[in-house]
Amino acid sequence: MAISLQKGGNISLSKTTPNLKNVLIGLGWDARSTSGDDFDLDASVFMVGSSGKVRSDADFIFYNQLRSTCGSVEHTGDNRTGDGDGDDESVKVVLDKVPSVIERLVVAVTIHDAQARNQNFGMVRGAYIRLVNIETNDEIVRFDLTEDASVETAMIFGEVYRHNNEWKFRAVGQGYAGGLHALAVAHGINVQ
Amino acid sequence: MAISLQKGGNISLSKEAPGMKKMIVGLGWDVRSTDGDGFDLDASAFLLNNTGKVRSDADFIFYNQAKSADGSIQHAGDNRTGDGEGDDESIVIELDRVPADIEKISVCVTIHDAEVRRQNFGMVSSAYVRCVNADGNTEVARFDLSEDASVETAMIFGEIYRHSGDWKFKAIGQGFAGGLGPLAKNFGVNV
Repeated sequence: MAISLQKGGNISLSKTTPNLKNVLIGLGWDARSTSGDDFDLDASVFMVGSSGKVRSDADFIFYNQLRSTCGSVEHTGDNRTGDGDGDDESVKVVLDKVPSVIERLVVAVTIHDAQARNQNFGMVRGAYIRLVNIETNDEIVRFDLTEDASVETAMIFGEVYRHNNEWKFRAVGQGYAGGLHALAVAHGINVQ
Repeated sequence: MAISLQKGGNISLSKEAPGMKKMIVGLGWDVRSTDGDGFDLDASAFLLNNTGKVRSDADFIFYNQAKSADGSIQHAGDNRTGDGEGDDESIVIELDRVPADIEKISVCVTIHDAEVRRQNFGMVSSAYVRCVNADGNTEVARFDLSEDASVETAMIFGEIYRHSGDWKFKAIGQGFAGGLGPLAKNFGVNV
């Protein structure tokens, strides 16, 4: 029975789903129904330590770098329009393989070419993040982003994180008007 | 040995910090790194008599009334963003100077303008409230607001209360709907 979180809320994955090993982080949004450029939303994951920063650019998992070096995080590919039912982009995580120095997997979504297309998250409908137990295909938790129009072009949807030896998930829904650049810099990526 | 409290947790001051005379309530959080209104957390204290209410509005110690009339409680000032290392706000309580008719001091944390800004503790990074024994600067109890009060906007952290000649601390960690105004009203302040 999936738990629905509100912004700021968190749950223990270890308590709700003991023995959870393989998690699918699914992200979805509605395809554009009005005229104009399609919304091309891109999921990414920042693997960060206690500093809140990545160890290297290799800890930034996105459409051009699909797999973490340890193999614990895998992005399943780019969806450019939001077409299709169910999750539009997803990331698979093997919890046991996440290196012990990694404390949080920050799951973010950015709007591709937001500036050029004049788009922001306020225009996107039906955005959500959910966690699914890959072994049973059960949805564990879901966070529906239902914000008023906002000017952000990059958004942290949620975080999978360690706390007191448990894995937890927090619904974040906070972002950056500065897009992927601001998001990446905030997490320690070397951006030109 | 600082105790990290879970929601509903409880500690006995007389066991954890016997003979404590001066206690500092510290509130801390990280500056917002994402866009939007900054997080402005406020610490407050209510001096309560045996009816569980303040004797007058002067018993409500907060950013706009930093000192109690008898000087036993002192708020160190409003921090509006969480900038700075360590505790961002603190309230110092000199237990020996607390008037005899005050039975309890309730310590609370609220988010300024939470409703308007649509914020809660879970959105803030690393928000905590703690009690420190000023003698030796040892932490007695701590509550993780970001983690354990995540969907709340105001919280009664704990109570320092008299018991058979000792001061004791009871951790409450209970959310309070509505913010500082309703919270103050709840303790008998004229808002």
